[in-house]
Amino acid sequence: MKRMLFALALAGAALPGAGQAPPTRTEVTLESKSSGKLGTAVALPQVQGLDEAGVARDFHDVLKNDLEDAGPFAVLKSTKFPKGTEAATFKAWADLGTEWLIASKVSRTGPDQVMVALQVLDPKAGKPIFNKNYTGQEGGAILRRIAHTASDDLVARLTGERGVANTRIVFVRQVSREVKEIYQVDRDGGGMMALTRHGSLTISPTVAPDGRLAYITYKGGAPEIWGQKDRGGPHIKLYPVGTQPLGQCSAPSWSPDGKRLAFVQSDRRGNSDIMVLDISSGRVRRLTDSNCINTEPSWNPAGTQLAFTSDREGGPQVYLMEEDGSNVRRLTTEGTYNASPSWSPNGAMVAYVSRFEGKFDLFVFKLGEGKAYQITTGLTSSESPSWSPDERKLVFVSTRAGGMQLYTTDLSGSQIRKVMDAQGCQSPRWSRSR
Amino acid sequence: MRPDRILPLTASALVLGVGLACSKPEPAPPIRTEPRAPATDTGTAPTAPADTTGKVSAVDTMEMARKAAAAALKDINFDFDKSDIREADKPKLQAIAGFLKNYAQVRLTVEGHCDERGTVEYNIALGDRRAHAALRYLAGLGVSENRLSPVSFGKERPRVTGHDEQSWFENRRCEFKMAN
Repeated sequence: MKRMLFALALAGAALPGAGQAPPTRTEVTLESKSSGKLGTAVALPQVQGLDEAGVARDFHDVLKNDLEDAGPFAVLKSTKFPKGTEAATFKAWADLGTEWLIASKVSRTGPDQVMVALQVLDPKAGKPIFNKNYTGQEGGAILRRIAHTASDDLVARLTGERGVANTRIVFVRQVSREVKEIYQVDRDGGGMMALTRHGSLTISPTVAPDGRLAYITYKGGAPEIWGQKDRGGPHIKLYPVGTQPLGQCSAPSWSPDGKRLAFVQSDRRGNSDIMVLDISSGRVRRLTDSNCINTEPSWNPAGTQLAFTSDREGGPQVYLMEEDGSNVRRLTTEGTYNASPSWSPNGAMVAYVSRFEGKFDLFVFKLGEGKAYQITTGLTSSESPSWSPDERKLVFVSTRAGGMQLYTTDLSGSQIRKVMDAQGCQSPRWSRSR
Repeated sequence: MRPDRILPLTASALVLGVGLACSKPEPAPPIRTEPRAPATDTGTAPTAPADTTGKVSAVDTMEMARKAAAAALKDINFDFDKSDIREADKPKLQAIAGFLKNYAQVRLTVEGHCDERGTVEYNIALGDRRAHAALRYLAGLGVSENRLSPVSFGKERPRVTGHDEQSWFENRRCEFKMAN
């Protein structure tokens, strides 16, 4: 198990905005076609031939890509940018239509320590809008981290809402015929790394709000829940501990407070029920008890209810219940196979998949309306949705370009993007905390 | 100690603009409904004579068992989203029960598997149900449940990699493997 070590210290302070219009908030709902985006353009830095030029350029490219993906920004494109960002160039920048001029300076501030000084200027008013120094230990992908963090800061400065550039997607990847391991990748598809090295079938990851992992591994033959009891701690067996239960366990899901794990335990008849494991006491509580399959528990953000899949009325359908197992009610009403519920970060929506004519599509059920909306359509299957932390997008797996690859979509289903080129991916979980 | 170095200045210009394009919500399309599947039937549970104990040494017996296992431990298959034992597979389970009677020390892992058409976790549960269906049938033939360990792999370990009816059928299966 390898975990990237890094420290990100923030120095300096953000200057108050001057002459800047009040933050514009883009509300992405199912009625709108994602966040607004005008034409994009960017001025690549005029890098002279230093050996660190590549580093600076990489940082710039990551930041630029993040800002373009964020939605509210349109990055200028021109071949005739002024040289530099000194005051003397402000008019020329303003004449090109520049409203925010971003200047970044990457420097080494000590052995193995890098600093990025990021400054945003309003060239028309000639005033700074944003100013922040980011430092970190060199190594790993620290400049990627800093670029992502800076992008999120700029999105927050503009919209009042934190961006999702500095987020990661945890997922399962096929390593060989019999081996799958847990991986993570930056939202932009960079920085992929393995999180487990069990050398066995390892699936079903879940990420706690503080970044702790839990998952299922078959390394001991029968499946067990492994994961982290402490933040940054070693991966240990979380369940079963002590007396061996009769059935097998699957589908762990961290509660929003990170203290409990909902999971699935089968019985001697092959029925599957949802349980909750209290991590500190090791106590297990049963939430469902029926002669059928109950699986795929997904907590609401308050930790008071769970969505889950059950075939109690025939085929699999999505149900909701209270966290003590009471008040079970069916959510999905159309279709013969609805599953994979994922409760949205703000609690108002549940994403799920519905199968029709042999393939799955993503749907979102808006709880306030009591109505389901189809997100993806197509000849290929789209499965296993997980919400972006800002609730504007879903990550999912699809066969649309062969194999099972990771994609993101906005809620209109019109902006579908492949996260990276990697086949054999499953069960993505989008997290801000890793 | 390397000297601090200043990396080149990078500058980019960004124009920010916000606009919203509106479109109507896409309602879920009507989806046909299918009649509910009949309840799971685990099949009949014929009685069988009690286990016999081996007459030769344990080591030799296990060696013989391994040889016999290849012939006796055949996959059984299932219909889509079902865990009922099919008529055609009952002779295979009887052969497995016979094998277990001949080799009383042998314990088996009963693996439940699914085809690729279903969610990861639902298929884990479905595979579990299949493993238990096979286990119950064998128990009905007189095999002690203590000798059988069910485990589900869902759709994680397909037998074949095709994406057609025949491949799906071959992947909806129970595998029986010697556990000792």
